[in-house]
Amino acid sequence: MKKKNNESTFKSDLNRLEQIADQLDTSDLDLEEAITLYEEGITLSKKCLQALEKAELKVTELKSNLELVNQKK
Amino acid sequence: MTGAVLTVTELTKLIKQNLEENFSSVSLIGEISNFKAHTSGHWYFTLKDSGAQISCTMWRGMNDYVFFSPQDGMKVRIGGKLTVYPPRGSYQVEVRSMQPAGIGELQLAFEKLKEKLFREGLFDSENKKSLPEMPMKIGIATASGGAALKDMISVAQRRFPLVEICVAPCSVQGAGAAETIVKALQNLNERNDIEVIILARGGGSLEDLWAFNEEEVAYAIFRSEIPIVTGIGHEVDFTIADFVADYRAATPTAAMEILTLDKEDIIYSITELDTRVTEGLNESLNEKRDRILSILNSYAFRSSSDVVKLFSQRVDGVVYRIQNGMHNLLEERKNKIALHMTRLLANDVQKTLRKGFVLVKQEDKFVTRAKKFQMNKNHQLIFYDNQIDVHSGHEEKK
Repeated sequence: MKKKNNESTFKSDLNRLEQIADQLDTSDLDLEEAITLYEEGITLSKKCLQALEKAELKVTELKSNLELVNQKK
Repeated sequence: MTGAVLTVTELTKLIKQNLEENFSSVSLIGEISNFKAHTSGHWYFTLKDSGAQISCTMWRGMNDYVFFSPQDGMKVRIGGKLTVYPPRGSYQVEVRSMQPAGIGELQLAFEKLKEKLFREGLFDSENKKSLPEMPMKIGIATASGGAALKDMISVAQRRFPLVEICVAPCSVQGAGAAETIVKALQNLNERNDIEVIILARGGGSLEDLWAFNEEEVAYAIFRSEIPIVTGIGHEVDFTIADFVADYRAATPTAAMEILTLDKEDIIYSITELDTRVTEGLNESLNEKRDRILSILNSYAFRSSSDVVKLFSQRVDGVVYRIQNGMHNLLEERKNKIALHMTRLLANDVQKTLRKGFVLVKQEDKFVTRAKKFQMNKNHQLIFYDNQIDVHSGHEEKK
């Protein structure tokens, strides 16, 4: 597959959140580390939920000359 | 006409007039062979049956109205007129319309192409690309403004509005549709941000869906570097495109549903992750607390608490001693006070003595009355300045 040049932050946030959950689940962390991860995780989950709530579908139409035209839904 | 000598041109001209007048509109049925689509856009082929064959041409512009690509062996019904081509001395049918002789012909063509592409490996599962798990940008090749597109957009809106949709419009029906589909797929592939493509069309008859049974569409799907999901027609419709695609969804909306995670599910899993993070921290905290408790309960700490006990015993001892000391101090003070009291009292007596009074002491006791004085015993006379021991019978200065 081709390389995406704008990897969505939603997706990477979600992946990071999963990672944090795994780390907190399994690994033996320092108290400091655990708290830092917890704070990051909570922030990310809030951010992801907000992104989903606020999301509006974006639809564009590709013309034959590959130019993009915004479309209303 | 016997005897008259004609030139070849003259005879051919007569034949041409004759044939073209009498066969200005023919309708015939036959099997295609030697089919050739010239780059100029014209089609050349032979129509034959078990007893005869006839050449046919179909000019560009005319064949635009044929919704399928004719194949050798396909039985078709054509309409057109007979024309004579004098330079070659040949006659042919100039075809104006072409249809499959029956629905079975399309089925047959379908089966033949399917068989061919299967042999070429276009349907092989190892050639199928896996679909992205959560595509953020989906390309759609379909008719602009079609119901299928509208349905897909509303599914995306409902399920996962974070996704971005890029529509590459194409015809999905009729002559030339296949070509526009190929172009749309190419255009989407030229962009570098599309993660997956949906090739879609709403329901229709076999003829309506025929573009998706065309060889060139099959190859375009096969060549696509981006995974393609088909959603063509209804659940019962299977096209060649479906076989080549990386994933076949039953309908356009089903295709969009497969590629979009449901918002509610994502929210649920985020909440789950949130809980796991919180529980993870709590566990970590509990674990630390348990560890601290276990250290406190360990031998080392217990023995040191014995040390504490010993120490506190010592402290108690010291406190006891301090309290005792205080008591003694008080007693001492009390005694001192008593002493001072006697001295004060004594002082009183001294004043009287100074005035010249004398105290008489016998056997360490003051003799305060004459009748208590014993004549035969010694006694002391206590003056202010001194004391005189007086022995019975004689006097002695001390």
